[in-house]
Amino acid sequence: MNDHGEIAWCPGCGNFAIRDALEGALAELAIPPREIVLTSGIGQAAKMPQYLAGNYFNGLHGRALPVAVGVKLARPELTVIVVSGDGCNYGEGGNHFLHSLRRNLDLTVLTCNNQVYGLTKGQSSPTTDLGRMNMFDPRGNENEPLNPLALAIVLGAPFVARGFAGEKEHLKGLLKEAIQFRGTAVVDILQPCVSFNKVNTYAYYRQRVYRLDASGKDRREALEIAEIQGDRIPVGVFLKDESRSPRETAGRLFRKSVTPGDMENLLQKWHGAA
Amino acid sequence: MECTILIGGQAGQGLASIERELAALLFRLGYFFFATKFYMSRIRGGHNDHLFRIAERPVHALSGESWDVLASLDEETQRRCKADLSARGLCLSPAEIAEIEKRAKDGFSNVVMSNPLLVGVLLRIIGVRSDALEAAAREEDQPAALLAGMALAEEWDMADRFVLQPRAESPYTFDGNSAIGFGSLLGGCQFMAAYPMTPATSLMLYVAKAALELPVHFEQAEDEIAAINMALGASYAGLRSMVATSGGGFALMTEAVSLAGMTETPIVIVIAQRPGPSTGLPTRTEQGDLNVVLSAGHGEFPRLVYAPGSLQEAVDLAKRSFEMADRYQIPVFILTDQYLADSIQLLEGSPELSVALRQYEIFDASYRRYALTPDGLSPLTYPGLGEALVRVDSDEHTEAGKITEDLDLRVRMVDKRLRKASRMDKDAVLPTLYGDRDADICLISWGSNREIVEEAADRLTSEGHPVAALHFSQVYPLVPAMLEGVSLAGKRLIAIENNATGQFAGLLKRELSLEINDMILKYNGLCFSVRELCDEVAARFFVPGGVK
Repeated sequence: MNDHGEIAWCPGCGNFAIRDALEGALAELAIPPREIVLTSGIGQAAKMPQYLAGNYFNGLHGRALPVAVGVKLARPELTVIVVSGDGCNYGEGGNHFLHSLRRNLDLTVLTCNNQVYGLTKGQSSPTTDLGRMNMFDPRGNENEPLNPLALAIVLGAPFVARGFAGEKEHLKGLLKEAIQFRGTAVVDILQPCVSFNKVNTYAYYRQRVYRLDASGKDRREALEIAEIQGDRIPVGVFLKDESRSPRETAGRLFRKSVTPGDMENLLQKWHGAA
Repeated sequence: MECTILIGGQAGQGLASIERELAALLFRLGYFFFATKFYMSRIRGGHNDHLFRIAERPVHALSGESWDVLASLDEETQRRCKADLSARGLCLSPAEIAEIEKRAKDGFSNVVMSNPLLVGVLLRIIGVRSDALEAAAREEDQPAALLAGMALAEEWDMADRFVLQPRAESPYTFDGNSAIGFGSLLGGCQFMAAYPMTPATSLMLYVAKAALELPVHFEQAEDEIAAINMALGASYAGLRSMVATSGGGFALMTEAVSLAGMTETPIVIVIAQRPGPSTGLPTRTEQGDLNVVLSAGHGEFPRLVYAPGSLQEAVDLAKRSFEMADRYQIPVFILTDQYLADSIQLLEGSPELSVALRQYEIFDASYRRYALTPDGLSPLTYPGLGEALVRVDSDEHTEAGKITEDLDLRVRMVDKRLRKASRMDKDAVLPTLYGDRDADICLISWGSNREIVEEAADRLTSEGHPVAALHFSQVYPLVPAMLEGVSLAGKRLIAIENNATGQFAGLLKRELSLEINDMILKYNGLCFSVRELCDEVAARFFVPGGVK
């Protein structure tokens, strides 16, 4: 991985394992880098595409999803993966998270969720637990944390999963399944932040995380799994609904073109007297 | 010989249908006409005016003369507009409109038939005969109701009161937004993402309808921020892409304008202006967003801004925008306004139908998206073609597209991006000089005022007040070549703008050191009329026998 140059993450950052798992998943799925487009926003997790083999569009904070939507609509044959942090995907980009899931394009949406803003040095994020002390919350976070998995399930995302950076092989398997899934696959990844989150550490998660034996049979069951919080934290696939087809534009756009004949027809039909 | 018609009433009374039917029939009958509307931001009620100018020669502006025919669908129209009726003018009062509705119910068992009935009355007033109408009308125009309307005009002794000859051979009709849409498709646009906003919405509808049958995708986005980011994603992936909005929606897009500048991703951004600040007057017209478009997006990067002044320019510049966006890998803006967007006009001449296509160059694994080159232009390609990886970054980046904080490289990258602008001079669209070149006064306009100003220049000159007119359809960058050959020295320069501060006059001074002497500004939400502009120029700048 050294051919990617210096990596800008802190030693011990959960992002390293997530990167390795994603690299391994793409390699095992034998997807050539030229057919991969990674989109990301801003934040430490959003730097991930820099350290992987593939095309990428590292855009604005919160806007990784709409860029991915544009790429996928234009070029459905490409493997499009969004990878950004909880602040980016759930906070600044919250509206795009809501509406991109409704679209159900064949996208993989990965969120490295460390429950804190790292690059801005330690403010609460949308997923920070109640009462947690952070830079702007000296009296403790007063806002209910967002439950991204429950939200994704309610919004109708057909594939919803949670992984843990501390279980790299398991995470790689989840990512392979998500990338192969036809439709929008949402994977929230528990990612310890060694610099700004002294509570949700590797040890914290290792004590609580357990693997699901099977996904929920339907949205209701998946939602029940997503509601399990606190001392027991399930990882694995919460929901996998293969009955819905993703939206498609395959073969319709790229390297096709409007012809002078098309324009002549349009001119006569919409603007002419005939 | 001309006939001006005002049809006024409340939203929900069928005015939009009447406008559409009258415009379609005037067009098919071969009349020269111009139609625009003054309307309120409501679904029902309020008060809307639909204005028609029908002539025996091409017309592309409101004359501003008294109304020859007033169709008052409500008392408000009658009260407000009756004083503006010409000496020979005809007035269809609410009582007569009620009679038309009665005939619709009695004769056709359908009150909606009062729309074609009224259109029939109006057409008969300008001399249309039943045989000509029968030849021009389609089944959906309700020919029986149209003919009943014509009979009613005869019954009311209104037939042939303003007889006009159909002399137009113009084969096509457009409103401004359709012309932009048509030109965009000619420019190879294959992707539009949009969030509805007046007065840009009909442009979105145009592309959305085209997308049903052509290799074009239209996506309704959750907000304007998503719209422009989607369009940038689609452009990056290989499709020529556009967005359209108005000032408030554009405010949300500005961070992504900067993103387009940094990532050098081509995009076309149409802004149909309406009066601000903030929500302002949502359905009215203004040219108040030039300054925001010039400075939108943090940081320094090149951009190009067009402001078409006619249907032909709307088609041509929309097409050109996509070529320029790709050539320079920059955001290109098209500034229109509610007046141009909503006005229905004839396109004189046939548009050239060649479609501009994106080039898809193939590169090997050594490809670097931001390769430093003498002209600042790095070869552009798209993911999945050849072995090249296309890596773009909103952070300052290396030639390969990776984040960098190498400050020497930063300087080279800024210079590279700005170097692209120096080449844009040769592609500048020069302004159009019109009228009496030797006149001491020159009216300067940009965007949608072009044809109002040109007709005013003709009329002023014919009334003994000679003026020239200079119109800019490329408003940024302004380059010295634009003033070569138009010898403005010694002329009194008067800026005509639909805003309160003379934004373009300020830009001419800043960019070309061109000193504007006076300004005629209108910012009540309505367009200029030819008569209004002539009167203002004559009163302010002429005395009997010459220039003040």
